[in-house]
Amino acid sequence: MQASKGDRIIIRGHRVGEHDRDCEVLDVQGKDGGPPYVVRWGDSGHETLFFPGSDAIVQHFEHTGDRS
Amino acid sequence: MRAIELIRRSGVAVAPDRTMRDAAEIMERSGVGALAVLDGDHLVGIVTDRDLVRRGLARGLDPDVRVDALMSSPVVTIDAAADVHSAFAIFRTNAVRRLVVTERGRFAGVLAIDDLLINLSADLADLVRPVTAETIIGHRDTPVPATT
Repeated sequence: MQASKGDRIIIRGHRVGEHDRDCEVLDVQGKDGGPPYVVRWGDSGHETLFFPGSDAIVQHFEHTGDRS
Repeated sequence: MRAIELIRRSGVAVAPDRTMRDAAEIMERSGVGALAVLDGDHLVGIVTDRDLVRRGLARGLDPDVRVDALMSSPVVTIDAAADVHSAFAIFRTNAVRRLVVTERGRFAGVLAIDDLLINLSADLADLVRPVTAETIIGHRDTPVPATT
């Protein structure tokens, strides 16, 4: 898995009816965009280290810099 | 199959000075039932939802108590490259439901008994399918080769 700052990681629900979860990548600690990632969990503000498993996918965002 | 390939859930790690309240909220937000406790890169413990209940709530501890007061340490680990039989052997000799998977000595994820059961049940289903079909549908008679 590769991610960049600002990307969103989606964690699929593990059981039928369980909702997906998501977090924002604040920092990439691995090489070449690899894990682990420092992430923030939604509006809770909690920051943790995250080690993605097979239940996680990255939602990339275009990093185009400031708008002119 | 390697231990790390059996993990079905992402791993989440927190620092030892995070509180019991933080740990509970992070478990709820992330959907995991166990958090690795890392002091820098160093794995110092694991705290589970069961720990929060039995060691925290049941003893009337303040929600702001640090997680390193509740965590299990030292941690039972398995190397990421170890095979599934090694995982079975560790579960057989340790009273734990989760193994911390390490890669080059660093935390890489949590392998739960559930992960092994799901994998095992899928393998069993593959084996049972032809036996069930044979029982329900009947034996397939192959023609006896003609001999002269």
